[in-house]
Amino acid sequence: MKGTKTKTLEEIFHPSTTLRVKSGKPLFMAHMIAGYPTIPESVQVAKALVKGGADIIEVQIPFSDPMADGPTIAVACEEALKKGATVAKALVVIKKVATFGKPVVVMTYMNPVYRMGIPKFIEAISKAGATGLIVPDCPFDTQDGWSLLATCKAAGIALIPVVSPGVPKERLKTLAKDATGFWYCTTRQGITGATSVFASALPGFIKTMRSISELPVAVGFGVKSRKDVKDLSKVADIVIGGSVFVATLKRSKKVLIVEKTMRSLIG
Amino acid sequence: MTHETFGGAYVPEMLWKTLQDLIAAFENAKKDKVFQAEFADLLKNFSGRPTPLIFAERATKRLGGAKVYLKNEGANHTGAHKITHCLGQGLLAKRLGKKMIIAETGAGQHGVATATVAAKLGLECIVFMGSEDIRRQRPNVFLMERLGAKVVPVEYGSKTLKDAVNEALKFWMENLDKAHYCIGSVLGPKPYPEMNRYFQSIIGREIRSELQEREAKLPNAVIACVGGGSNAIGSFHDFIKDDVRLIGVEAGGVGKKVGQHASRKIAGRVGIFQGYKSLFLQTDDGQISPTHSISAGLDYPGLGPELADLYQEARLELTYALDKEAVAAVDFFAKSEGVISALESAHALAEVRKVAPKMPKDSIIVATISGRGDKDLFNFARAFKDKSFRDFLKDEYERY
Ligand SMILES: Cc1ncc(COP(=O)(O)O)c(C=O)c1O
Repeated sequence: MKGTKTKTLEEIFHPSTTLRVKSGKPLFMAHMIAGYPTIPESVQVAKALVKGGADIIEVQIPFSDPMADGPTIAVACEEALKKGATVAKALVVIKKVATFGKPVVVMTYMNPVYRMGIPKFIEAISKAGATGLIVPDCPFDTQDGWSLLATCKAAGIALIPVVSPGVPKERLKTLAKDATGFWYCTTRQGITGATSVFASALPGFIKTMRSISELPVAVGFGVKSRKDVKDLSKVADIVIGGSVFVATLKRSKKVLIVEKTMRSLIG
Repeated sequence: MTHETFGGAYVPEMLWKTLQDLIAAFENAKKDKVFQAEFADLLKNFSGRPTPLIFAERATKRLGGAKVYLKNEGANHTGAHKITHCLGQGLLAKRLGKKMIIAETGAGQHGVATATVAAKLGLECIVFMGSEDIRRQRPNVFLMERLGAKVVPVEYGSKTLKDAVNEALKFWMENLDKAHYCIGSVLGPKPYPEMNRYFQSIIGREIRSELQEREAKLPNAVIACVGGGSNAIGSFHDFIKDDVRLIGVEAGGVGKKVGQHASRKIAGRVGIFQGYKSLFLQTDDGQISPTHSISAGLDYPGLGPELADLYQEARLELTYALDKEAVAAVDFFAKSEGVISALESAHALAEVRKVAPKMPKDSIIVATISGRGDKDLFNFARAFKDKSFRDFLKDEYERY
């Protein structure tokens, strides 16, 4: 991590976020699915992740066809929906998770956002206490991307772009004009979960990002072990874990076990 | 409905460059004489174009109204219109230096066409197919494998076409350098809807010139079945500016409830999915709804964005045919015209049976038969409750 440039979460997010972190140590963003294993249990999962040391909680609102997700998260989303998860119920989860004292970033796909109506959706997550939003299938420069961006800006929600090694510098420059919060940089091209093989181009790519933008860089996809976290800490301001927690929940009925998983990752 | 801008490129940033490269290659190819010559040569000497325009004389008499012509895309090599956009994309993939083409498939027609083109052009091929569709269209799986393609079953979601698209997109994102994703209809992010329409619009151009030769006039209506919409927009595009009714026929399935059909006319609402904005079958919560059709190729929740545009402008009429109407239409045209159509195409034929009698005798309908029925042999046998075919299968099983 570039120690000198480290930002406090206050700087990263909306000023209403009160948490401060020490500089010099990367933050950890832990991902969870609203409604997985069940709606009430997913709130407990968030609590356990916070207890285990997560700095930011990423709450995924399940969508039937999650294009950027690997089998672990995709199947879990399908299960959550089967058990009755809805956007409305996910919003209740977000509201509860937001009381745990850590910033909450919402992640979902464009269709549920569009269906509800962009202004209504942004108002709802904002009221629920979210500080950021990730919509991987909605680039800024699409008709509805512009509208999402403008609405997020007005509401003080950071619309976080997802980029990957291989995205050209010119494209990063375009995105940088409108990016807020932080960059979500995937460790490689592809989908969540799967392998922990990070692209060899990753460090160079992050260097390019830093030459273009001052925003912190969060790095994730395939983070499974303490070693992964350590490796990524050299280049990232925020390390992201997701499938690793979902996989833990699949193996064990006790949801609180993710606290241990979380701890084991950051040591 | 407020005026919507359909289409777009709603995809993760990691696809941006790949799509830009594809747009550039496509724009170049449009102007490039060498590409045009290669494409035309393959269409003629590999696929067998132009496809015939059949005057359905006996059907016309039986229906008692408009003169019915059938544009037989089933006469193409591999048995459907799909080969046309596969050849176009295969040539582009080579120009982009890709070593592999991947595809999704529903009925298996697009998969077979892609596998065929891959073999012809010397490219590696992987086809993603919902396990439910594999069950319904096993003969095509066998053919794809014989053609050297790898068929990967998709075991999640509804295990049909939309899930195969998801899986192909995912594989693509992990293999952007080596693979070209050969999308099988006029859907997905820019430039796919325009690009596949560009390749397929030869159907409408041929209809125009063939009918000019025979009747010296334009048709009054062109009718085609609509899954994603590639054979439909291919048939319609050349007539958009003319006074010709354009009628798209969707899968009415077995009823109007969620999961019983695949008709965007019945229940489509504006959404953003699989890279494009259009009409989709979805829940109030924005989850994509399950669909049903007897024909795997129409069993898909989204409408190609250019067709959604035409529908929004009231230039396109959408309607639907039920499963049983499609099966009956296969039978009708088999017996009266000697053409056994695919179950997908039979939806268009079912509409012909409804509208032809209501139209004057000097009017002309052209219906596109997007594919021939060979692939549906097993489905037909079951739909017609053919006992001897059942016995044959038993025997065949014993002999195996
Ligand atoms: C014979 C046939 N017709 C029609 C379709 C539907 O596709 P589209 O609407 O893109 O023409 C398919 C798709 O598999 C097909 O195989």
